[in-house]
Amino acid sequence: MAKKTLEIYSVELSGMKDIEQTDKGNGKEKYRGLKNCFEPKKNHRKEELTKELDLDDHKLSIKELEKKYGTNIITGLSSAQAAELLARNGPNALTPPKETPEIIKFFKQMVGGFSILLWIGAILCWIAYGIQYSMNTSSSLDNVYLGCVLALVIILTGIFAYYQEAKSTNIMATFNKMIPQQALVIRDSEKKTIPAEQLVVGDIVEIRGGDQIPADIRLLSVQGCKVDNSSLTGESEPQPRSSEFTHDSPLETKNIGFYSTTCLEGTATGMVINTGDRTIIGQIASLASGVGNEKTPIAIEIQHFVHIVAGVAVSIGILFFITAVSLKYQVLDSIIFLIGIIVANVPEGLLATVTVTLSLTAKRMAKKNCLVKNLEAVETLGSTSIICSDKTGTLTQNRMTVAHLWFDNQIFIADTSEDNSNQVFDQSSGTWASLSKIITLCNRAEFRPGQENVPIMKRVVAGDASETALLKFSEVILGDVMEIRKRNHKVAEIPFNSTNKFQLSIHKTDDPNDKRFLMVMKGAPERILEKCSTIMVNGQEQPLDKNTAEAFHTAYMELGGQGERVLGFCHLYLPADEFPETYTFDVDTMNFPTSNFCFVGLLSMIDPPRSTVPDAVTKCRSAGIKVIMVTGDHPITAKAIAKSVGIISANSETVEDIAKRLHIAVEQVNKRDAKAAVVTGMELKDMSPEQLDELLTNYPEIVFARTSPQQKLIIVEGCQMQNAVVAVTGDGVNDSPALKKADIGIAMGITGSDAAKNAADMILLDDNFASIVTGVEEGRLIFDNLKKTIAYTLTKNIAELCPFLIYITVGLPLPIGTITILFIDLGTDIIPSIALAYEKAESDIMNRKPRHKKKDRLVNEQLAMYSYLHIGLMQAVGAFVVYFTVYAQEGFKPSALINIRVEWENSNVNDLEDSYGQQWTWYQRKYLEWMGYTAFFVGIMVQQIADLIIRKTRRNSIFQQGLFRNKVIWVGIASQIIIALILSYGLGSVTALSFTMLRPQYWFVAVPFAILIWVYDEVRKLFIRLYPGSWWDKNMYY
Amino acid sequence: MRRQLRSRRAPASPYAYRYRLDDQDEVNQNYLADEEEEAEEEARVMVVPNLEEEEEEEEEEEEEEIEEKEKEEEKGQGQPAGNAWWQRWQIVSEYLWDPEKRMSLARTGLILVIYFFFYASLAAVITLCMYTLFLTISPYMPTFTERVKPPGVMIRPFAHSLNFNFNVSEPDTWQHYVISLNGFLQGYNDSLQEEMNVDCPPGQYFIQDGDEDEDKKACQFKRSFLKNCSGLEDPTFGYSTGQPCILLKMNRIVGFRPELGDPVKVSCKVQRGDENDIRSINYYPESASFDLRYYPYYGKLTHVNYTSPLVAMHFTDVVKNQAVPVQCQLKGKGIINDVINDRFVGNWQSGSEDKQAKK
Repeated sequence: MAKKTLEIYSVELSGMKDIEQTDKGNGKEKYRGLKNCFEPKKNHRKEELTKELDLDDHKLSIKELEKKYGTNIITGLSSAQAAELLARNGPNALTPPKETPEIIKFFKQMVGGFSILLWIGAILCWIAYGIQYSMNTSSSLDNVYLGCVLALVIILTGIFAYYQEAKSTNIMATFNKMIPQQALVIRDSEKKTIPAEQLVVGDIVEIRGGDQIPADIRLLSVQGCKVDNSSLTGESEPQPRSSEFTHDSPLETKNIGFYSTTCLEGTATGMVINTGDRTIIGQIASLASGVGNEKTPIAIEIQHFVHIVAGVAVSIGILFFITAVSLKYQVLDSIIFLIGIIVANVPEGLLATVTVTLSLTAKRMAKKNCLVKNLEAVETLGSTSIICSDKTGTLTQNRMTVAHLWFDNQIFIADTSEDNSNQVFDQSSGTWASLSKIITLCNRAEFRPGQENVPIMKRVVAGDASETALLKFSEVILGDVMEIRKRNHKVAEIPFNSTNKFQLSIHKTDDPNDKRFLMVMKGAPERILEKCSTIMVNGQEQPLDKNTAEAFHTAYMELGGQGERVLGFCHLYLPADEFPETYTFDVDTMNFPTSNFCFVGLLSMIDPPRSTVPDAVTKCRSAGIKVIMVTGDHPITAKAIAKSVGIISANSETVEDIAKRLHIAVEQVNKRDAKAAVVTGMELKDMSPEQLDELLTNYPEIVFARTSPQQKLIIVEGCQMQNAVVAVTGDGVNDSPALKKADIGIAMGITGSDAAKNAADMILLDDNFASIVTGVEEGRLIFDNLKKTIAYTLTKNIAELCPFLIYITVGLPLPIGTITILFIDLGTDIIPSIALAYEKAESDIMNRKPRHKKKDRLVNEQLAMYSYLHIGLMQAVGAFVVYFTVYAQEGFKPSALINIRVEWENSNVNDLEDSYGQQWTWYQRKYLEWMGYTAFFVGIMVQQIADLIIRKTRRNSIFQQGLFRNKVIWVGIASQIIIALILSYGLGSVTALSFTMLRPQYWFVAVPFAILIWVYDEVRKLFIRLYPGSWWDKNMYY
Repeated sequence: MRRQLRSRRAPASPYAYRYRLDDQDEVNQNYLADEEEEAEEEARVMVVPNLEEEEEEEEEEEEEEIEEKEKEEEKGQGQPAGNAWWQRWQIVSEYLWDPEKRMSLARTGLILVIYFFFYASLAAVITLCMYTLFLTISPYMPTFTERVKPPGVMIRPFAHSLNFNFNVSEPDTWQHYVISLNGFLQGYNDSLQEEMNVDCPPGQYFIQDGDEDEDKKACQFKRSFLKNCSGLEDPTFGYSTGQPCILLKMNRIVGFRPELGDPVKVSCKVQRGDENDIRSINYYPESASFDLRYYPYYGKLTHVNYTSPLVAMHFTDVVKNQAVPVQCQLKGKGIINDVINDRFVGNWQSGSEDKQAKK
């Protein structure tokens, strides 16, 4: 087995080997968790990843390739061959992740949560009727109706939940629509444009700058082709391609172009070697789909809550079933009691309410550019304790931008914010005038036409990243670059290549009096400096002496050390006598000088962080969330960006930094002194899970650089091992497995690849990391508010349950009917419990630590105890007072009610005496019983108003929170009262609903109890605030 | 909950963390956020002295205790005589303060005491409410009587079912009716009525003004009023001859008075089917009505001896061996006898009156 594992992970992770070894070595419990994490996936990944190993097409010669794929690089495949291959291998498209069939989703809603319990209730109803029917064929259909009502309730809430789910998934549908891609292919010796989906292995395709590579291709001939592999590797630097085999690893070799990467410039011809799911990208994508979708924290919480409630319901139900049977009740009656207890205990409307609450928050977040794919993910961000963020495109803008300039012996800082508009460095120096000219002229990048109205930074440019950066930089500062270039006509040019490491062009100047040619050059700073003999300072040429060279090196090192790409610029005015206007320059023979240039300056570029990120990182910090950077990029760049966004804070050092500062060896540094760590993929590979665990534990600030998709997965798993709730942000395909594995995957909406979006739970529509902070805030708020909603809903369950228990044990006429309970749960209580979702936070939730997955439960003991045993019982008492009042005023004093049940319910007893000696017929009693139901209902409803108000806060006084700040609460209260009035006075005559009219005064009987509840809760909160940490606080704060 | 608190403490110090490295659940809880939280919590706890001792102290205490125990055990081995006592003490102390569960009897007790007081005050509140409720309602007169009106009717003999089904020649089939009627009419015995109740003038209400709490007198309704159905002449109430007596009784309602001068009458007829199935019915008293002098009723507290008036129906000639549905209605002003859902208000419908008399 170890062998297999090794095989699977050896491509990019030989760390698994270590895992196996350590596991064998000391066999501690601890590592088993991590190992187990891998095991179930083995089979999934095995197939794809072993295939990756087999890829050796880059080593083959063209002839061998032709033979292997039965094609010809001149004529291409024949249409017939292509059709056959297409039929055999399927279309060249990624299989979308398997969708659960709608019908199964629907049925899941029908049996999930409390539905099972209610189904049991409904079935018991029908069984009860069956028993009744077998004893007496003319028995009433009440139980059948009740069963049907329960079934209806389940189905309706199921449909509702399904609808809500479906609505949120539908938002995603828009993202899945991809523009059909075209590919230029040679078939039957003809060039044809076909949809990329129809490409087959062996097809010869042509690629031009700007195209997306339509499949994995082996490049056959290449002209200056560069590709952007950032979606695969996270590296934003363009990679040159050639047709030579340069590296054993298919990922590193230059003669392979990968599916879905972009060709930035140049042209290339290649042979398709893999299509669809068999491409590298496809394999990563299937790696992502192999990662199981774990339950969201809120789903776990809700399940926990359902278990508690169901446990209470079932145990009380069974307890009283046994009690009833042993009290010599008939089994039939006992079953009916059981139904009542179940219905009373189950908060039928709660799950629907939770869904609505979540979708309300999802909507609110969508407005703030956080699109939530999975409703439950709304809360996950709130409990997130670690964010693993990708660098490129998430923290950074994913485009090279000029960050620093060095001229006149000074480093100037350029504005790297998103619009670059605020360039404040000194532009008066003559050196800048020369430098700006070089930047403008020695540049092949061009804006695509027709973008005059687009902001400069958003214009599309043909050219590589650095040239684009320079073009935009000069366009912002100097204005119309194209116009300047036109005025300074280009006569000759040597483009950049990797051997020269410079770019040179010769221009006529725009000064009509100056007939000299201007030769401008840019390139790797050390190469440029070699060619210079003078340096320009303050617009004056000075000889290049040792001091200036020193200054140059210092500046170069400093800029380079910040992870920036540095370019040197120099120029030379060709003497007019040697090079007259008519002189013809020949770039091949180099009939012009290439030394003794005048060095003008340095310019450094970086993919700058988004301007909102540092603030967002600080906010995450203060919210107790650890931000880890996980990137495929270079450690130096990664560290520089991490420092600039605050992932490594200004005053913290890595072990290497300390070593450097103290001039000691890295090994001698006390590791505890370092707060930050930069870990590369190579180092990570050699780490045991134990070490990774230690790393994650000991360093609050960590940057992972040069990581592979699998390593990202391992990092996420490592974090999850610490019981952390992990959020992963990313945009590339390489991020998608980690996105899927994370508790919440966050994809970028604009730059994000489809694979990332598919794997993610949430999409940032504006690609703004700061939106995550909003998400965290909303998530935490919703968690708090759900607590309130659940507390509110659970409270009345006791008030609904007590009547049944007392009915069974004391033999009172039934105080509240099952149908009436349903009217509370699904009628009066729905809108108020949703209204609690609109409650504002009690204190600054962003200064709080994230909740602990296992300790801070949604429904904790305190909440259940306080709701059930405190407020719930008070409500029950209040409702009973209303009930007794109604009965007493009608003639039945409480003492007369005790043990009256059997006679009361006997329809043949039509002269039952009350406390005054009056005699009641059965129907008269029945009507009185319904009046009792209504009274009890009103009693609960009135006290639920108080309950709603006290649930607005958990710690603060209601007056601190503001009674009227949340208007929706009042809508809720109004709805409660109106629904109750309609039920009593409007539907009072519909006997099936068992509501009756109620004298107006009965509506006020429970009011003192409502006030009592309020006062009691205020006292509770007062003590919590007065004695934080006390026994009271620990037991009464939920 | 105690357990919860305990696990919360687990990562409080790096040492605690170390100790629990082998504990799968607790391994990974030591991340910074938690540590800080713990620090805060501890700080809070220190400021406010309370029932729960400061956490670290507890931990130390625990360790100390274990150490002490070990020491004591060593000692104990040295002193075998004191061992039993020591063990006993240990059991008691563990009961009071169990370091493993961090649970003390005192604390559980405190929770119980607090709940006890909470529920005691809740009970006090409900008692108070009930008390005020009883203050507001009169013991003599119900506050509302609209639900018990209009009065219902009930029949005697009543035995589980409203169907009368018997065989004249088999006394067993009707004997229980006779016993039931006899029992019911015991309270109507002439001697008893003459002794307890007054003979008040018929045809007018027997209104007794005066204080509510004064005892009220009741009018006589003698068994002999029922003549042939009194069971005095025919102890079988006609069942032995196939001419059964059925007594009709109107439900008592406090303060109920039939419209003045118009006593409530009873009339029976065949509900469905051939009207000739019942050829004759005799009513006793002959007026077939509930005399006004029995009204109003003042409630059972003061009107102790009130005797409900009866009307007996003697079905002297009924078709036999066949179900005869009978409906008896009360007729009078203020009596509603067509309430849809209640067949006992204002009328009484017998499912069937099936008499089999074999000859």
